[in-house]
Amino acid sequence: MNNAQTAPKVTKETKNKIRVDFERTPFWDRVKAKLVNLYTLKKVVWYLFRFLLLLGISYVILFPFFSKISSSFMGREDFVDVTVRLIPKHPTLDTYRAIIKDNNYLTALLNTFILSLTCGLIQTFICCFIAYGFARFKFKGNKLLFLCVIFTMVVPHTTLQLSLFMKFRYFDILNIMKFLGGGVIDAINITGGETSINMINTHWPLYILSFTGLAYKNGLFIFMLRQFFRNLPAELEESACLDGAGVMKTFVSIILPLSVTMMVTVFMFSFCWQWTDKFYTSLFFTTAGEPLLPKIIKIPKSLDTQYAGQSLYTAAINNTSGILIIAPLIVLYLFGQKYIVQGIESSGLTAQ
Amino acid sequence: MNLNIDAGKGGKKQKIQVDAPGKKRKRGASLDVKQARAGWLFILPFVLGFVLIYLPIIFKSIQYSFNEIDILVGGGYKLTFVGWKNYSDALFVDTTYVTTLVSGLKQLVLDIPSIVLFSLFVAIILNQKIAGRAAFRAIFFIPVILTTGLIADIDKANTLSSYMESSSGIDDGSGQTSTATEIVSVLDVERLFDNMMVGTEVVEYVVQMVNNIFNIVNRCGVQMLIFLSALQSISPAIYESCSIDGASGWETFWKITLPMVSPQILVNTIYTIIDAFTSSDNQVMTYISQVYEQADGNVLSSAMSWMYFLIVILFIAAVSGILSAFVFYQKRD
Repeated sequence: MNNAQTAPKVTKETKNKIRVDFERTPFWDRVKAKLVNLYTLKKVVWYLFRFLLLLGISYVILFPFFSKISSSFMGREDFVDVTVRLIPKHPTLDTYRAIIKDNNYLTALLNTFILSLTCGLIQTFICCFIAYGFARFKFKGNKLLFLCVIFTMVVPHTTLQLSLFMKFRYFDILNIMKFLGGGVIDAINITGGETSINMINTHWPLYILSFTGLAYKNGLFIFMLRQFFRNLPAELEESACLDGAGVMKTFVSIILPLSVTMMVTVFMFSFCWQWTDKFYTSLFFTTAGEPLLPKIIKIPKSLDTQYAGQSLYTAAINNTSGILIIAPLIVLYLFGQKYIVQGIESSGLTAQ
Repeated sequence: MNLNIDAGKGGKKQKIQVDAPGKKRKRGASLDVKQARAGWLFILPFVLGFVLIYLPIIFKSIQYSFNEIDILVGGGYKLTFVGWKNYSDALFVDTTYVTTLVSGLKQLVLDIPSIVLFSLFVAIILNQKIAGRAAFRAIFFIPVILTTGLIADIDKANTLSSYMESSSGIDDGSGQTSTATEIVSVLDVERLFDNMMVGTEVVEYVVQMVNNIFNIVNRCGVQMLIFLSALQSISPAIYESCSIDGASGWETFWKITLPMVSPQILVNTIYTIIDAFTSSDNQVMTYISQVYEQADGNVLSSAMSWMYFLIVILFIAAVSGILSAFVFYQKRD
């Protein structure tokens, strides 16, 4: 600061009062000194760089959605027209109409909704339950069983494809059905004379897998929730216990209300992953089974694709079914994304 | 964390024991036993499922891989033990399996660093104050929710978006913006790296990474979330004292941020490996599914996937062994 060199001027006004005049640096000089330096420059450049980078990656993420949505409104002619890229020249709703009508979209939507909602809810609560058991109670085998959870996460279900199918095609726990013999089973008459239950084409395989915490990525949910429960203060449960609450009561009325954000996160994951799932639905539902969303991805009867723009047109039709599939999820995400971000932030996945 | 909680079953047991003449001395179960009982009660669904459903499935799958299977017409199936035949068939008779396996593993090795580093980088940026941070976060987590399963499947066979992206920079009257693939050619990463005199492998790797940015962004959602929560749990006091001591941002990153998130780097690396190798769109899994769908190749696919699984487990063990030497754990008391 160069103004420090000039000494302040002191004048005596009255007997007991003096007046000190500083030579103050002008306002703009002060602003300049504060802002025009390497430090601020670095900050601004870094800020801009970050912002542009985020913007660019957001574009990369969102562009496929734009292209899909725009192509879904294109008419047949637009796919042979070279000048059409993103904005359709012959906007039409035919593709949507054909898929909704010919491919049983609404029935599939309803079926998938019931399936995903039930699976999502079961998985959320069961995973909370299991994770709480792992996080808060000391017992022999806790660590070993948690390793088993990790193990279920590591073995891909694709590896178990054949045996998963066989398990639920000829469902029988510990050969109980075989042991009871034909008599009891014929009496209740659910299996049609076989010594096992055929669960293919029903929702039961997925419900059973959800109920036992073995469904898709449930190991991850249990892991996340366990870390979250471990970070909750133990005093909560201690005081609940002093007030006379049992374990279940503590869990239901103290722990669960505290973990709503985490539960919403887990629910969103399980619901959406079940919704867009292809592996299990193709494994447990044969072509003769009830219509589910994966089955709507095909060319509708009423659309004629035999022409020059065939490959693009069929791709656009498939993409349109894709949009129809995820449309409800987008709405859900708009409401739930706040919870996902919050939930993960409060999960404290860091605690070892 | 000692909880004096009465397990649901504990109460009943207590009464029985009081009634029994010889055991009056002990009143109810001890705290540890009660805790253990409550714990078992909570994880009961998992234990039941694991023992009654999962283990038999695993066992069956291993069994199938050593057998020939015949589905009988009247329902049911017949197994014939053939020993290691399926495994040797997969390795020596099937011509594509080994090459697919090798290239799949190579891809895995190449993908992991890019995914982990990218997610760490993005998490750090998303953790800093920036305009529209909430919106950016919402956008970055879209792929985790939406671009999975079916949608990823549609995308994989998507000629449409590649057609749209291939539109050249020449103005064709439709008011196009240039796209990700063009950014690479504009910046000419290749020439840039050639001038830096690094090996061609590095150049190829970087170019591939930039071109695959969509794929990478899609696959690092969960990792980003894990890193974000890790970054947020670092005490601001540490950063404050660092800046008072005159550390630059660069130094702070290497001395504070990186060691503090190193446990999550380990977690994320393992998660990425698992995710990459269990996802049905990786090439080995695709090939195994193809084999599964052939009528007579069912058991062969079991053998193939168990072999693949073993290799990946060894790989995970090796990676976590190496990485855990560098992990820094903060002591908490």
